[in-house]
Amino acid sequence: MEMLVVVSDLSYRYPDGTAALNGVSFAVAAGERVALLGPTGSGKSTLLQHLNGLLPATAGSVAIAGITVVPSTLRDVRRRVGLVFQDPNDQLFLPTLLEDVAFAPLNDGVPAHEAAHLARETLAELGLAGVEHRAAHHLSGGERRLAALATVLVSRPAVLVLDEPTGDLDARSRRRLVGLLLRREETLLVATHDLGIAESLCRRGVVLHEGRVVADAALGDLLVDRALLERYGLAAPLE
Amino acid sequence: MSFRHVDQYAAVVSPVTRTVPTARLLGTVTLAAGSAALPFGAWMPLAVLFLAVLLIARAARVPARQLFIRTTGPFVLVFLASAGLLVLVPGEPLFTLGVLKVSSQGLERFAFVLGRASVALSAAVILVSTTSFPELLHAFRELRLPHVVTASLGVGYRLLYILVDELERLQRAARSRNAGTGSTTRRRLLVGITAAGLSRAFSRGERTHRAMLARGYAGDVPALFSQSWDRRSTLALVMLVLLVGIVLGGAHILS
Ligand SMILES: Nc1ncnc2c1ncn2[C@@H]1O[C@H](COP(=O)(O)OP(=O)(O)OP(=O)(O)O)[C@@H](O)[C@H]1O
Ligand SMILES: [Mg+2]
Repeated sequence: MEMLVVVSDLSYRYPDGTAALNGVSFAVAAGERVALLGPTGSGKSTLLQHLNGLLPATAGSVAIAGITVVPSTLRDVRRRVGLVFQDPNDQLFLPTLLEDVAFAPLNDGVPAHEAAHLARETLAELGLAGVEHRAAHHLSGGERRLAALATVLVSRPAVLVLDEPTGDLDARSRRRLVGLLLRREETLLVATHDLGIAESLCRRGVVLHEGRVVADAALGDLLVDRALLERYGLAAPLE
Repeated sequence: MSFRHVDQYAAVVSPVTRTVPTARLLGTVTLAAGSAALPFGAWMPLAVLFLAVLLIARAARVPARQLFIRTTGPFVLVFLASAGLLVLVPGEPLFTLGVLKVSSQGLERFAFVLGRASVALSAAVILVSTTSFPELLHAFRELRLPHVVTASLGVGYRLLYILVDELERLQRAARSRNAGTGSTTRRRLLVGITAAGLSRAFSRGERTHRAMLARGYAGDVPALFSQSWDRRSTLALVMLVLLVGIVLGGAHILS
């Protein structure tokens, strides 16, 4: 099978010496939806930033669609990987949503009127038509999440990488987001500690703990393994 | 925070918001420059300009109360800065404040400066009340302000709101733990919050930069908008420029 994302023996140390990743290996096939599970501080966000070349590997490598992530391939890699950050505020930095969503196509050399058209279309797909001229701080938390998603969907990435996408959403917005994502065809990698979201989106789960992959299996099997879930802080022990 | 509501009238449809933002910006500049160019003692022309501003405020549906409240802050600054005129302008003493003699000429100059300031300030308040920040940015762009300037203003604008949000969250978190009852503890709390806020601002900046890189940022924020002038805006601006021109001309002939 064609592997879209290949992470091999990846290690990363933050400049302050924190060893956040210690030899992570896994691969994701095109069209697969994978949940990246793990307690807080296990290295999920750090791992996701490597997929986009935002952090340079200390050892090991990442390849996207056969392209190894090195400084000279960053442009190609970033065009294929759409990364939605844990905090949507990090991602919405321009005065209006439309500008934020058009940012990536413009950087890609798409002419302004076409970029604006693409941005409008993407916002409408996510149900955000009508607020495109608003500033992000005039949106609700849920709308902001969707807007952050729009900023990467607009480039039609091959892999959609979401970091904790449901952090501050209520049940209804959560369901809406899941519905939206299920209708899409992109390969999906979702980091979360919300098992409900993982279950409704993905078939496969990769569990990260202290920067290592400690389990990689069908999500259905992982979720019934009470001992594993408790060991890695993904479920509270029963009283 | 009060600046959260800065652009609250931008959504109100009015004859003023139907003109393009650039016309609004130029109109404001015209009014401010016009009032600054009035010769001293031209009270009637000043009154005409002030009336024009009030009419524009009315057309823009900015309530008088709002206009008054928003001009107060900067107005006080002008007041303090020009209070020196009261005693520095030589002339017949009107009354004395301790050792300081206030002349009638000084009083008139002072009042005139305040009058001019209120025209300019009111015009500025109408501008920011009817024009959202993104629109103002377009206006700056259209007037060919360097791209670096408008792009950094744009990113700075969002960052400002994010930071204020963060500071408010820190403050709420501290308050909810009953922090800051005595005056020394409150001072220490303020220092703590400021320090935490600054460190968050740095990491926020770093994360935002990464988010930009992730979407192909290569050192330049490309502009999306270009806007077209319409007849209405041209007409409105021409009329305003004519009015100010006539008032100015009249004032200079009379004086
Ligand atoms: N900028 C940084 N500098 C130093 N250490 C960091 C930095 N960012 C994260 N770390 C550390 O790296 C480890 C992994 O962090 P990471 O953010 O990847 O975890 P996570 O799994 O995403 O956690 P969460 O679920 O809370 O988001 C943690 O020990 C964290 O403290
Ligand atoms: Mg994280």
